[in-house]
Amino acid sequence: MYKYDHIDQTLVDQRVAQFRDQVARRLDGSLAEEEFRPLRLQNGLYHQRHAYMLRVAIPYGLFNSKQLRTMALIAEKYDRGYGHFTTRQNIQYNWVTLEDTPDILAELAKVEMHAIQTSGNCIRNITSDAFAGVAGDEYVDPRPVCELLRQWSTLHPEFAHLPRKFKFAINGAKEDRTILLCHDVGIELKKNTNGELIADIYAGGGMGRTPILGALIKTDLPWQLLPSYLTALLRVYNRFGRRDNLYKARIKILVKALSPEEFARQVEGEWLHIKNGDDNFTQAEWDRVAKHFTKPAYKNLPKLSDEQIINAASETEKASFARWLERNVKSHQVPGYASVILSLKPHGSVAPGDATTAQMLAIADLADQYSFGELRATHEQNLVLADVEQSKLYALWQEAKKQKVALPNIGLLTDIIACPGGDFCSLANAKSLPIAKAIQERFDDLDYLFDLGDISLNISGCINSCGHHHVGNIGVLGVDKDGEEWYQITLGGEQGNDAAIGKVIGPSFYADEIPDVMTNIINTYVERRSHDESFIETYRRLGVVPFKEAAYKNAKKKEKAEVAGDAS
Amino acid sequence: MSNTPQTIAAHEQILHFPKGQKPSLSPNEWLIWSGSQDEGGLPNLEHGKKKVLVPFSWWVQHYHEDDIQSKAKAGNIGVWFAADEDILKHADLIEQGKAVWPVVAAHFPIFRDGRSFSTAALLRDRFQWSGEIRAIGDVLIDQLLQGARVGFDSFALRPDQKTDVALKQFDLFSVTTQNSWRDKRATLSA
Repeated sequence: MYKYDHIDQTLVDQRVAQFRDQVARRLDGSLAEEEFRPLRLQNGLYHQRHAYMLRVAIPYGLFNSKQLRTMALIAEKYDRGYGHFTTRQNIQYNWVTLEDTPDILAELAKVEMHAIQTSGNCIRNITSDAFAGVAGDEYVDPRPVCELLRQWSTLHPEFAHLPRKFKFAINGAKEDRTILLCHDVGIELKKNTNGELIADIYAGGGMGRTPILGALIKTDLPWQLLPSYLTALLRVYNRFGRRDNLYKARIKILVKALSPEEFARQVEGEWLHIKNGDDNFTQAEWDRVAKHFTKPAYKNLPKLSDEQIINAASETEKASFARWLERNVKSHQVPGYASVILSLKPHGSVAPGDATTAQMLAIADLADQYSFGELRATHEQNLVLADVEQSKLYALWQEAKKQKVALPNIGLLTDIIACPGGDFCSLANAKSLPIAKAIQERFDDLDYLFDLGDISLNISGCINSCGHHHVGNIGVLGVDKDGEEWYQITLGGEQGNDAAIGKVIGPSFYADEIPDVMTNIINTYVERRSHDESFIETYRRLGVVPFKEAAYKNAKKKEKAEVAGDAS
Repeated sequence: MSNTPQTIAAHEQILHFPKGQKPSLSPNEWLIWSGSQDEGGLPNLEHGKKKVLVPFSWWVQHYHEDDIQSKAKAGNIGVWFAADEDILKHADLIEQGKAVWPVVAAHFPIFRDGRSFSTAALLRDRFQWSGEIRAIGDVLIDQLLQGARVGFDSFALRPDQKTDVALKQFDLFSVTTQNSWRDKRATLSA
């Protein structure tokens, strides 16, 4: 993975010193909270319901065991012994103090980490495929471009105060694992017939209050020209994005208002003036960065069949080991290797994406022992050991079980994506975590979960959609009505190449109704599915009506009346 | 000076940071007229300041008037661009203005409104403006560094800002990771 040179290291060290001075001015009162707020946000520091929350960047999801140990120790020393992996490849600490934050950032800087631009109205931490460099379906390893753009966007002066936050995702594989189309800018990397690296640019996607899928605005852009093209794109947004209304300030509103064609034309017009300037990437910069993303020292190993792998387990363990292989182990580019997903979604005990200090330390050891000391964070809030020898999968599984990160529920109903919600977040209208917990408790039977197969359930505590509910096959959105917490259900969302925004099925439910509503929706799928049909396939064939009818079957009286009103 | 409806408040000391030089302070010679006096003429000049920055939108309406032309030729009129001014729509007037304006300015209605960063970048890149570009309005200590990199070389700080702290801002970083008007990205060989 990428290793800082003295430029990167100097920059993060000096950024810590700058923030330390800003915090000191805040604490002595010479900097007002209103004016400090954007400064701390651009260093990942939120003020939450109970305390400050610090969001630390894991650029494009890639990190190493040494960094994970630092994350673990920060959780121990400055927080309450755990961290929360987010949907955008960051880790969050929920209980830090303002006074400690410069010290935390200094500790992070020692292991080449930072919290720069993890929040605020700027270019955020760039996300990518958690299986970059190892996925079997990869066209292009996106990591060199991710790193080049990380550097380009870091402390970019012209785009330090955009109308609103700005998120990049970068994908280089056949299957999209980045929800590319739900980002302000999605960069799809590929190779042309001459073998040259080029990019398609999508703009104007996003979730939040107005979910929109990004539109293709540029094809076949040579990778070297990404800085000038993105400067043109961001300049148009910076100048003309709305600043009068927080809810209409994202680039998606500008792209929609102008039309994608007109937006693309304006970007092209701006780009004409700068495309031949000296902002573009050079081959020398590529060489400097790309050398860090060469393949690790893979052994020459035979490819093992599932049967050979399973045979490592004792008779009594075979069935459960096979389940883990089926759900949590993914194919790899190199024979004899596999990628392993460690589930941070135990049933009904902790928040999705949480890991304790002890777990993080143990997982760091597993990374060293089984996967060249490297890890990845997925946007589904799990962790990945990307380069595990197939012959060691059984040993790894046993270790992972001890750490309670071996539940074979990846991609199943209980692999819930959820934001921290009203338990922590001051923006939230409703709690997310108790809903996730209640659903995991209701659907705790692994046999049943395996029978249901692939299904995504995403929960957001408010319309900011940090839990990505719009693209869950089943989405749950917390809403506030007259001071009470209610939950709205969407169906039919999907991430990936067939990305779709889910449809709201009707009036909201009380929290305690949600497990029954889920049962009714799931039963409808089980009753109506054709052989081997996934939930989303059945939904697409049948449409929303049977699911909607089932969802409201047992709804409380008041809600039934609203349904009737809704239908008329 | 006081913040009357006719003027945009600014610190008495202007922070100058010409490219390739050290930052320094000097007294503010320029009145920043808000344009709110709607009688067509320039405002009464306060505190003996005979130099005035006028809104670019006002210049567009009045630049041809004899009185304005003579004041401009004497070097006593500059213009300021509002944050929502689309300067690319007035390329001809800006090209002409380059011959007469001693200074141009771009306004920050609130410190977290970054539009004037792009205005300054365009003035430098597109219009090849080589004279002074001053940041005016809600100009705070913590946006000086960004402003200096996109093309600003003088800053009319908000009156409550501390100039000693402000002067220290430009030394905070010895490296950058993208090109800007002031500095090229750091490279390993450098």
